[in-house]
Amino acid sequence: MSIPFLDRELKKGSAELLVLSLVEDRARHGYDISKLIETRSDGTLKFNVASLYPLLYRLEGRGWIQGKWVERSGQRRRRYYRLTAQGRKVLAEQRQGWRRFAEAMRRITGIDYA
Amino acid sequence: MPDWNRIVRERLAGLKLEGASEAEIIDELAQHVEDRYRELLDTGVSDDEAQRVALEPLTDSPSLVDTLRRARSRTAPERPARPVSHLGILLYDLRIALRGIRQKPGFSLLVIGMLALGIAGNAAIFSTFNSLFLKPLPFPDSGRLIDVNETAPRWNLKYVGIANPDFFEWQAGNTTFDALAFFRNPDFNLSRLGPAQHIRGAQVTRGMLDVLGLKLVMGRNFSAEQDRPKGEKVVLLGYGLWQRLFSADRNVLGRSIVLDDEPYKIIGVLPREAVFPDRAEVWVPMQADPQVHNGWGGAAIGRLKRGVTVEQASADLLRIHRHVTSTGKDVNRTITSPVLTPLRARYLGDFQTTSQVLLVAVSVVLLIACVNIAALMLVRSSSRAHEIAIRTAMGASRGRLVRQLLTETIVLAVAGGISGVLLGRLGLEAIVALLPDSVPRWIDFQLDARFAVFCILITAASALLFGLGPALQGSRSDIRAALHEAALRVSISRSRRATLNVLVICEVGLALALLISSGLLLSAFHKVTHLDPGFRPENVLTFSVDLPDEKYAKAQQNVAFYQSLLDQLRSVPGVAAAGAANHPPLGGHWGQFFVAEGDRPLGPGEKTPVVLQVVVTPGYFDAIGMTVLAGRPLGARDGLDEGHRVVMVNETFAHQHWPGANPIGKRIRYQTESKIDWWEVVGLLRNEKHYALDGEDRPAVYTPETQLPFPMSLSVVVRAYANPEALAIPARQILERMDPDLSMYGVHTMTEQIDQSLWARRAYSWLFGVFALVALVLSAAGIYGVISYTVSQRTQEIGIRMALGASPGEVLAGVLRGGMLLVGVGSAFGLAIALAAAGLLDKLLFGVSPRDPLIYSGVILLVALVGLLANVIPARRAARLDPMRALRME
Repeated sequence: MSIPFLDRELKKGSAELLVLSLVEDRARHGYDISKLIETRSDGTLKFNVASLYPLLYRLEGRGWIQGKWVERSGQRRRRYYRLTAQGRKVLAEQRQGWRRFAEAMRRITGIDYA
Repeated sequence: MPDWNRIVRERLAGLKLEGASEAEIIDELAQHVEDRYRELLDTGVSDDEAQRVALEPLTDSPSLVDTLRRARSRTAPERPARPVSHLGILLYDLRIALRGIRQKPGFSLLVIGMLALGIAGNAAIFSTFNSLFLKPLPFPDSGRLIDVNETAPRWNLKYVGIANPDFFEWQAGNTTFDALAFFRNPDFNLSRLGPAQHIRGAQVTRGMLDVLGLKLVMGRNFSAEQDRPKGEKVVLLGYGLWQRLFSADRNVLGRSIVLDDEPYKIIGVLPREAVFPDRAEVWVPMQADPQVHNGWGGAAIGRLKRGVTVEQASADLLRIHRHVTSTGKDVNRTITSPVLTPLRARYLGDFQTTSQVLLVAVSVVLLIACVNIAALMLVRSSSRAHEIAIRTAMGASRGRLVRQLLTETIVLAVAGGISGVLLGRLGLEAIVALLPDSVPRWIDFQLDARFAVFCILITAASALLFGLGPALQGSRSDIRAALHEAALRVSISRSRRATLNVLVICEVGLALALLISSGLLLSAFHKVTHLDPGFRPENVLTFSVDLPDEKYAKAQQNVAFYQSLLDQLRSVPGVAAAGAANHPPLGGHWGQFFVAEGDRPLGPGEKTPVVLQVVVTPGYFDAIGMTVLAGRPLGARDGLDEGHRVVMVNETFAHQHWPGANPIGKRIRYQTESKIDWWEVVGLLRNEKHYALDGEDRPAVYTPETQLPFPMSLSVVVRAYANPEALAIPARQILERMDPDLSMYGVHTMTEQIDQSLWARRAYSWLFGVFALVALVLSAAGIYGVISYTVSQRTQEIGIRMALGASPGEVLAGVLRGGMLLVGVGSAFGLAIALAAAGLLDKLLFGVSPRDPLIYSGVILLVALVGLLANVIPARRAARLDPMRALRME
């Protein structure tokens, strides 16, 4: 079951962070990214084709990630996204911001954001 | 394997990016969808289901297309956007709008239905009403046509007709009319062209064509010589008669027809538009003598000069009339004076109040329809404010959103409008089928296109106003607002709910006021139809026979003819009684002035009321079923003795002359200069409703036919034991045996005539009733919609209450209380309107109290009941809520 509140907030506020994190160490295509978000969050977070790609294009537009078409024989071509240098900087900043935010939440609410 | 590229491209129609970029997006998304589809197949889902689920995120493609385009354009800002044609944008918006409508079929149908009902009801009823009361006469520039008559307040007569000398002096002396025409509207026996038939005709002066602004189909108008007394007998054929008798033969000029036993030469054919004087099938020259004052038998019509007002023309004619009568000797001519009325007002004058009242009703129903649609759109846009906020946040431009909402509203309005107009035409046909035949000729029933368009526009405008406003409010919110939107929405919906409540209160109020008004009118109608008319109309057949002066020149011939006709009728099996009179009830008026012996002389300026004189044969009172209250009815021997003239009077006459005293044995005579014998009152008759069932009682005297010094055509009244209609055939046979040149006309049962005399009252009473019902249905739908919306907004609150222990019954009662409070306040508001409006209706109510408690309480009960029904459905839905689900909902 998805949690509506979390779902909405996280998508709006932290979707960028999620995507940037996932392409940090290797290039991934869109479907791969959406599957990873779903499985790693135990289905709590879901992205579908309509919510994911506008986000990817926006991040690409800002120059944080870069897409590249890769063709393999016997398959359709796929577009793989990887983190740019500028994206790496943004990711670090966002991580730091979230860490502070989570710590603040933990102190006040006692909820552990492990 | 489905062709995902194709499917995705279709879903994203309208992306309109530069070719390569669009292809890339489609490729990429198609790949994603395909991956998802394969994965679903692997989990054992059916192929259909897998396709459906994989494509689900692409359902709301309009917003997705927007988002993709904006996201992409930021990726490649250097690429100029390809110019898009306006038509392309329109088609695209239309497609999206249709999709949006399909997504909420229930709501869309409700809006379309409401629009259709509102437009249909209004268009049909307004068109009927417009045809009856508002549309101009079928003559060029008909606003300048004026009815000219004479009035005599001292005789208690509004219209007395015009005397020859008066007309000709006005015609010669006026400076305000382009043309004036003098006319009578007599009946003719048309014979020697197939079976004898009775036709309505007109005697007119030669100015009539100019006044009406008509041109002959062929031939020429009367010459001045032909229009002089004893001029040549010529005739202008009416268009219908020309078609009927001569099969539109163009060689008809110069031939003759026989009217009242005299040949008339055909000199012209009237156009189809010559529907005035009413129902005239032939025009013959008036041939009036300007020097002879033989009573006020004529009527006149004039065409005002351009820019001249009725008041100016009145003053003009009055100036001439004063000048002439100040020098003359005839006292009567100083009593009458010219009176001018616009033609339509003169012929439909009685409906002035009615038409105003009905116009108000049309506006009120239209208002209710608008209020209703406003409420619905408010509900709809509230539910979309959320969606719009998100789309704005994701980059959709405001202009884009406004355009799309506009398109959606217009699509709804057009769909509602078209079904409304179609439904309206059906409604109009139904209404016309209910109207009687006696509606004047010139009335042409058509759906008024301009009004239908007006209805569509005004409802669409209200939809836009209430649909767009809140939506735009939503679109103003930025991403931050969208994030806090949960909190925001509560406050928005609170003010919106207040607006909705006001709308519902207005609706209920207006519907209640209309219901009360129509209740009063229908009750008046019922009262009129169940009134004792003073005679027994059932099983009575009446018809008229006119005896031409040439053949039946002497009074005795006349008397003998009717006596023989009546004797033969009485021997027909099934006839209970037979008699004849110049004017049976609802059959016209012959006015005279009477004085009673011992009346004090009249002071100057004192009113002498005009008295109805009914000339009757023996047996008439039995045939028509009138009641003799005192004395005896007129018999076969009355009137034969020249030394002993007798008369019967009605209650009103007796009361005016001998209040409180027994009229039997009193004596009356005509009020004239010369000495005429006194007539002895031998019987007192109960009042009959002579002019109209809802008319007032007027004085009347009844004299034997034999007492009349000149011949007079009479109407025959036959009372049957049953089936009076069946007597028409033997009556026609008898008449044909007696004189084959005579025709019987005006063959009607008395109940038929009563029915027809009430057509206008019936028409407006029922129209009003239909209005009120449409209003009630519309407001019930409004209540239902608004309460449903309120309940859906309060789902979470209700859930919490139920979780805290409120029983379904308590929830039900709570919702009902809220809804019924609106109905209650609305009813109070409506009651205030109804009481204020009752004054306007007073004239039409025929003695029904404008504050009739039975109708008021009945209507309030009905509205409460309908309100309750409209409330119960959403209230029960609330009571059946599963508290757990309600709490989980956003």
